[in-house]
Amino acid sequence: MRVKTEEYREKKEQLSGWPVKIVSYKLGNLYHVSIHNEEPGAWIAKGEGASLAEADGKARKEAAELLAKVKKSPPPTGCTSVPGF
Amino acid sequence: MATAVQAASNVLVSTSWVEEHLKDAKVRVVEVDVDTKAYSEGHIPGAIGWDWGKQLCDTVRRDIIPKSKFEQLMGQAGISNETTVILYGDNNNWFAAWALWQLKIYGHPDVRLMDGGRKKWLAESRELTQEAPKATPAAYRAKEPDFSIRAFLPQVQDASSKKGADLVDVRSPQEFTGEILAPPGLPETCQRGGHVPGAKNIPWAKACNEDGTFKSVEELKALYGGAGISGGKPVIAYCRIGERSSHTWFVLKYLLGFKDVRNYDGSWTEWGNLVAAPVEKP
Repeated sequence: MRVKTEEYREKKEQLSGWPVKIVSYKLGNLYHVSIHNEEPGAWIAKGEGASLAEADGKARKEAAELLAKVKKSPPPTGCTSVPGF
Repeated sequence: MATAVQAASNVLVSTSWVEEHLKDAKVRVVEVDVDTKAYSEGHIPGAIGWDWGKQLCDTVRRDIIPKSKFEQLMGQAGISNETTVILYGDNNNWFAAWALWQLKIYGHPDVRLMDGGRKKWLAESRELTQEAPKATPAAYRAKEPDFSIRAFLPQVQDASSKKGADLVDVRSPQEFTGEILAPPGLPETCQRGGHVPGAKNIPWAKACNEDGTFKSVEELKALYGGAGISGGKPVIAYCRIGERSSHTWFVLKYLLGFKDVRNYDGSWTEWGNLVAAPVEKP
């Protein structure tokens, strides 16, 4: 069976303090939502469901958990190079 | 202003070109995604799916796919040495570019990316299917690997210390500065943050338009030239594991026509874990 995407949308938001892009579309009877970090644009979480809200909720929950774990280092204090090899 | 497809039709095709060639027996379409489940959700009719983590690498040691396995992979997909291979995937073709780089290493004569990748095909509401295609196995003979397009650690160390080649770090600014060790939401795979001393940070996505297609050649020249990367010296691109840098390698090699461009697939997961390697944190 061949199908086409319907209701394809992309939107930008903040999630757990990180800028993300949320992509959603309907394929057949299922809604698909994927959440991507803005930098570098990688897919990080997905959700599927019979409704957009269900798919969106699943993807957001997973993405929020993953994004909350990201550790930021203190601001760089200078070069930590070891000269030569 | 020439689009990237117009400037490099021998390595880049549009989504409409692919749709027109879906029944062309000389053309084989292959999907390679970061998200290895995406293919089964729906793919371009007739497209084969490759799993980058299992089929496009050596599964024992860290390396590209061995020659004999590459020949098997191509043959089982119905690809002969004369087939035109069209690669596409998610994340604006990250792993499709990674696959293309490996096909070039093994000397496949005609391999091209679909501009905009899976995202553009979906956004344009073109046909998808969940049916796996039936491929008639073909005989395939790979050439000896061409490592003139691949950088290994000693070459990167040389480039960093002797400045004989330009190093382009295509990761995000936060990875480049060492503020984070991995892209948000992805596992940390290195011991230290920062970048290879002397590298310039030009994130891969700057080469793309919002719809996932490549920017025009003029825009790309301005982007890389503005950062001092003009092709006058050899260039080595790297990222975290070598897939984003395959994308940049493709841009520099084929869209800008630089003579000597290498992808360092060891990338930050090699350098950032190397004992006593110099690390720069601006």
